[in-house]
Amino acid sequence: MNQYLKTSGLFVAAVVSALGMASQGAIAQDGKSITTVVKISGIPWFDRMETGVKKFAESNPEMNIVQVGPATADSAQQLQIINDLVAKGTDALAVVPMDPAILEGILKRAMDRGTIVVTHEADNQKNTMVDVEAFDNSAYGAAMNVRLAECMGGEGKWTTFVGSLGSRTHMQWVGAGEENAKQHSGMVLVDPNNESFDDANGTYEKAKEILRKHPDIKGFQTSAGNDVLGVGRAIEEAGLAGKICLVGTGLPNPSAAYLDSGAITAIGFWDPQKAGMAMNSVAKTLLAGGEIVDGMDLGVEGYESVSVKQGPGDGLLVFGNGMVLADKDTYKDYLF
Amino acid sequence: MRKLDGNLVLLVTLFAVLLVAGGLLSGGTYLSLFNLQSMASQVPEIGLLAIGVMLAMCAGDGGIDLSGIAMANLAGVASGLFAMSIFPVDEAPVLFTVTFVIGCAVVGLIGGTLNGLIISRLGITPILCTLGTQMFFTGVTVVLSGGRAVRIGTPEPLYEIGNGYVLGIPISFLMFIGVATLLGLVLRHTPYGVKLMMTGSNQKAAEFSGFARARIVTTTYALSGLLAGLAGLIIAARNVNVKWDYGTTYLLIAILVAVMAGVKPEGGYGRVINVVLAAIILQLLSSLLNFVGLSNFVRDLAWGALLLCFLFVNRFALVEHFDALFSSKRDPHASKN
Repeated sequence: MNQYLKTSGLFVAAVVSALGMASQGAIAQDGKSITTVVKISGIPWFDRMETGVKKFAESNPEMNIVQVGPATADSAQQLQIINDLVAKGTDALAVVPMDPAILEGILKRAMDRGTIVVTHEADNQKNTMVDVEAFDNSAYGAAMNVRLAECMGGEGKWTTFVGSLGSRTHMQWVGAGEENAKQHSGMVLVDPNNESFDDANGTYEKAKEILRKHPDIKGFQTSAGNDVLGVGRAIEEAGLAGKICLVGTGLPNPSAAYLDSGAITAIGFWDPQKAGMAMNSVAKTLLAGGEIVDGMDLGVEGYESVSVKQGPGDGLLVFGNGMVLADKDTYKDYLF
Repeated sequence: MRKLDGNLVLLVTLFAVLLVAGGLLSGGTYLSLFNLQSMASQVPEIGLLAIGVMLAMCAGDGGIDLSGIAMANLAGVASGLFAMSIFPVDEAPVLFTVTFVIGCAVVGLIGGTLNGLIISRLGITPILCTLGTQMFFTGVTVVLSGGRAVRIGTPEPLYEIGNGYVLGIPISFLMFIGVATLLGLVLRHTPYGVKLMMTGSNQKAAEFSGFARARIVTTTYALSGLLAGLAGLIIAARNVNVKWDYGTTYLLIAILVAVMAGVKPEGGYGRVINVVLAAIILQLLSSLLNFVGLSNFVRDLAWGALLLCFLFVNRFALVEHFDALFSSKRDPHASKN
């Protein structure tokens, strides 16, 4: 018995003191708090978003603004974090849902409790006050496909990647891409909607499989931030850089080498930094009791004049104008 | 008299310490009724799955159930689609809910029985069998739902199961405690429970003693499946929607909880109350870390450290058992080592 008590006592003392050190400053601050919850932390896309959240925090020192996210891509883990944050009493949540459907219940409970809820990349979320989108999703998907079709010369086999089948925006992009491809009778869609789970290694393996199955494939349109890296690597290793077209969502910095080698034709993106700031800006406005109206300036580049529509629930849909398509020659203008 | 359960002592101590630490670090919000309710309503999903893993481990012969969360998602999706095809959610909410609840249990039982039959009749190693059925269940769920989330809707009775309270305690948590208590009693006081532990401790001896080993193993995995089905029910009731890839991390967490609770991976020993406490402690710890605002990578680290700590302490218990061999009579549960 003494043995257990001693051991557990020591362990517990260590844990408590570690937590004590970590919590200094995290809880002590007064003022309203906005917590941004991302799909998964530690990947370039959401690291970039965090720079935006930090920037916003710097310009609003009186508020307690942080970003958190699960260590693994699992909607259950994200759900748990949001549960705890609501219980903790965060004043506003800015959420990038892994799977909007799974979060409906908790976001409703959050709003019932008086928490401000803002979402991003979830224009079908019913239980949100404002969903912020960087641009109109159909236009973005179509624009990527126009670029892909141009590179493919309007013919050949092509396929699509999405983060997950539940990722609504990704499905919209490839859907709009498919619509656009119908203008070119020579373009044949094969094995569409491969799920990447935003994992570059997994995508690489899947892309290799596709290259083996369809040696004559000509194009890839990808969606999640890491997909271009996985597919680009597979294309480059197969010695097909410049011969196969790859257009997808990606960040300039990680994609630079593949853009230079020609493995990636072009990347499309919106700046997650700006999106993170826009979400927080909306949350701040709502916290202050303000309203979001058509043509409003959120004070963030690309969101100077947003268009506002009625969302699927009681909330609003806010579109910015933050689309960027960059290739070999232009990506250096956007290095981040 | 029963010997002192070192693992239980440690769990209870940790439970108390985490509550106190949480209260101190958060300035009280951690102990607010809302947060206690919020944490309690998060425990049942993982707790039910962990008890399932415990049962499988107790059955011995490398017993484990990897198909738990896949089974839970399948139960939610299949039963949801079935119930919706019979009763319109809005017009017959009670009938719908009853059908859905029974459906979840039945799907879980069938899936668990399938596991049990493959393991006991075909002699396939549990880890391989349940890995296979895990993929199979996931596949069926994807096909049934087309890969999308299935909206179960929120008829009043079902919503109550997931989000309602009785005397301030979440109904899902009460269900979990009820099921756990029942199972704890069954394991301790029925012939099935005793035979399960005996079989897990020493299969050969059990077989030579005339135990129907195949039936015991099948029942055990069927129970594990039933628990997963109930977890599926609670997931659906809480989240309104069910989806095939929900809770992919639960698989390992459930095993973590079982091992933390002192369940012997080689079979023959495990207590339900320890598993319940271990699940609650894991929830307390992860909520505490979220409260403090630490990165979720730290949470993985903390869980790992916790697991190692428990293995370490349990190891000491083994040493004590060894000592006890020379001085007094042995605990029948500790037949190994």
